[in-house]
Amino acid sequence: MVSQVLTSTLEMVINKTLALSASNTSLDKLTQKTLTLCLEELGFPLSFSVCNTLENPHIMVTTLTECADCTIKTSMSTLQELKAEQQITELIKQDKLDLTGDIKIAQQFASLVENLDIDWQSELAKHIGDIPTHKLILLGKKISTKVEFATKQINADASEYIVHEQRLIVTRSQIDQFNQQVFEVSKHVDELEQRISQLINRKDLQ
Amino acid sequence: MSSSEQNQSPDKPDSLSDNTTHFGYKTIDKEDKVSMVAGVFHSVAKQYDVMNDLMSFGVHRLWKRFTIDASGVRPGNKVLDLAGGTGDLTAKFSQLVGKEGKVILADINSSMLNVGRDKLRDKGLVQNIEYVQANAQYLPFEDNTFDIVTIAFGLRNVTDKDMALRSIYRVLKPGGRLLVLEFSKPEYELLNKAYDFYSFNILPKIGELVAKDGDSYQYLAESIRMHPDQETLKVMMDNAGFEQTSFKNLTGGVVALHKGYKF
Repeated sequence: MVSQVLTSTLEMVINKTLALSASNTSLDKLTQKTLTLCLEELGFPLSFSVCNTLENPHIMVTTLTECADCTIKTSMSTLQELKAEQQITELIKQDKLDLTGDIKIAQQFASLVENLDIDWQSELAKHIGDIPTHKLILLGKKISTKVEFATKQINADASEYIVHEQRLIVTRSQIDQFNQQVFEVSKHVDELEQRISQLINRKDLQ
Repeated sequence: MSSSEQNQSPDKPDSLSDNTTHFGYKTIDKEDKVSMVAGVFHSVAKQYDVMNDLMSFGVHRLWKRFTIDASGVRPGNKVLDLAGGTGDLTAKFSQLVGKEGKVILADINSSMLNVGRDKLRDKGLVQNIEYVQANAQYLPFEDNTFDIVTIAFGLRNVTDKDMALRSIYRVLKPGGRLLVLEFSKPEYELLNKAYDFYSFNILPKIGELVAKDGDSYQYLAESIRMHPDQETLKVMMDNAGFEQTSFKNLTGGVVALHKGYKF
């Protein structure tokens, strides 16, 4: 029943999010339409059906595939890119997703996600008050700035390393070659030492 | 939890004569069962949803969601939610079949039907739902009417389960399917013992506290034990004419979803 836990959670989150959106997120165009997502990482499909029998249309999430108007097969990593409506055709060309059914349905769902405009700050303030919200948001921004800075720094260091430092680094084969040379020099020195001692011995005998 | 009541007994143990049936662990006259089960559900109707959540820790919602997912429902379908009680399945089906489809919420018990109707209307679900007070054994519908029939937590209360299954088979369209969501036999001995302890010691007390009716919940526990197990119910469905019958255990077999087709 993992799939039922996931679908019921998703359904609740999606409908709450839609209700919070400040933009007029109209589901009318999608009434009675279903988009089915088959993600490589999940063992079951996720179907998003826009229902209009309630006063306010809302989205039902099920694992039913029978009512799909459009089915998308893709991976989790590609999902983020799907947010942009224009991206769909591009992703199909790149073989990152497989789409069957009415592409307009997928585009309308993508547009729905793209147009979400939620004022999280005022929503949070309703629950915990204005001042704690303000402080929390400031803290969030600080953390976000630091994380952003750290990410940039790591990226810059990595680029620096790749572009410049890596060239200067002695490679394994160079080390092996150097070791071989040292070994040979050492061998020559030993031979020379042996010869010198032989010569000294000979001279002493004379 | 059990949704509405349909009154009958299932498999007939040898100890029962043709005129007797079970009411929990009691053996009673068949004709008394309808009124006795009715009494239980008239009593618990108002607290039914709260009790379901309490007793199952909310898991009944997942069982019902599983049933919807297994139903293969499409927009435009005609669905019969038999023993539909307070309409949990009807609410979901109503949204999925859309304006072109139809859902009939049927229950033998008027109190449960009233609670269900009020609940669904409060949710704004009015367009495609009809309410019918009906006994599962004598369904008042024409042959080949429905694409899907569901009976969730209702079959064990039916007096003659075989007759009810035949009646359901009759009203299904060819290609239609029946889904029976019902308490069953846990698969593991340890779970079975824990479940027995919970059912007979804790459940009636919760019933007493919340619904002020411990006896009804004692009946619930007993009726679950008297209900046919997974394999027996599957055979009963086969005997009624259903094809490709199968079942899926949920929560370790505490509940099972049986499915069968009419071709």
